[in-house]
Amino acid sequence: MLEHLKKLRQHLLTGVSYAIPFIACGGILIAISIAFAPMTEKGPDFSHTPTLKLINDIGSASFSLMLSVLAGYISYSIADRPGLVPGFVGGYLANQVKAGFLGAILVGLVAGYLVELIKKVPVSKYLRPIMPILIIPIVSTAVIGIVMVKVLGVPIAHLMAAAKDMLQTMSTGNSVVLALVLGAMIAFDMGGPINKTAFFFGAGLIAEGQFRVMGACAAAICTPPLGLGLATLLRRKLWTEEEHEAGLASLAMGMIGITEGAIPFAASDPVRVIPCIMLGSMVASVIAMMGEVGDRAPHGGPIVLFVVNHKLAYVLAILSGTLVTALSISVVKLFSAKPSAAAAEAA
Amino acid sequence: MKIVAVTACPTGIAHTYMAAARLEKVAKELGHEIKVETQGAMGIENRLSDKDIREAKVAIFAVDINVEGRERFHGMKIIEIPLQEAIKNTREVFGKI
Repeated sequence: MLEHLKKLRQHLLTGVSYAIPFIACGGILIAISIAFAPMTEKGPDFSHTPTLKLINDIGSASFSLMLSVLAGYISYSIADRPGLVPGFVGGYLANQVKAGFLGAILVGLVAGYLVELIKKVPVSKYLRPIMPILIIPIVSTAVIGIVMVKVLGVPIAHLMAAAKDMLQTMSTGNSVVLALVLGAMIAFDMGGPINKTAFFFGAGLIAEGQFRVMGACAAAICTPPLGLGLATLLRRKLWTEEEHEAGLASLAMGMIGITEGAIPFAASDPVRVIPCIMLGSMVASVIAMMGEVGDRAPHGGPIVLFVVNHKLAYVLAILSGTLVTALSISVVKLFSAKPSAAAAEAA
Repeated sequence: MKIVAVTACPTGIAHTYMAAARLEKVAKELGHEIKVETQGAMGIENRLSDKDIREAKVAIFAVDINVEGRERFHGMKIIEIPLQEAIKNTREVFGKI
């Protein structure tokens, strides 16, 4: 059972790994076009700026391919090459019926397992050559298409609409809880599967036109490496020579939004480091959420500042999270001995 | 011992390469010969040749996503672990061989 879940996660993450560049490309091109177009009450006005309109259209094209790529490669991961066609078509239809990334993930899974099933059907050796090029793609895609449009599509589209609605109208209390959870997840394994789950929740919502969840993630993403880097500068005696060097690298990684910069510190001293970076990231994501920071790029850290709205709140969120991380780890290190030498050995 | 390895993570910009570096470093310390293929956002880098795979005794997959070209390793001993293991507990990974 556990083995199955692990495989399932691997398939999902394979799809995500192919989809991320599409979100990045679409999100940033759209953000650039909107940033330079005159803002009106009905949104940005492209009527006098054909170039910006074009950039916006190109970004939208990348977005509209994203769901196909996500579903297609989830299915590909499960069923190999024959999985691509039903996955891509299913993802395209998920976009059409507005079932969003949830629909695309589901349809990718269903398509992949369906193709695996069809592959197992015994066929005569005269039929075998046409299985991969004719029978499997046609049968699986027809089935997937019908399932997506007639069965799964509508309920998922409702669910997505409801979820978006809930996020949009979420009370302050609930949004703070969401931000706390996201912040904790982002920092907990520094770029690992839990971090990526929170991250893709935010990134997937960008394509749905919901930017605040990503905004909260973006602030949380950079505070672990920034905070630990700052801590090595604050009280140098608390850290080893190696950690001084890692601290500078960590600051640089933090600036470009790579949480992984914190790993060298966490690997050698997880018990003390991980709670502190979680605290910092939670502070950062809550402030970003309260400040209504929206991020249109599926990435975090100071580097995305130019595609973020409510920039001041974003900067404030990052600074606060960084300070909280740096101060808490310094205090913890001052007043406690290292919990175990074995942990250091593992690094 | 000759070892081949593949590392891959969902974003493929940091973890993939950190794991590769750790595997190479620890393998050297333990006196193994290792070649690590990275399957990151840039696609496949440092690709393992058929000769590399044929000569290796064991393959280590440190991956959170599906390995591309898994069929190349057909019939050989494969140790598959989550990517984090290769970064945090590198020595234990080699202990499994």
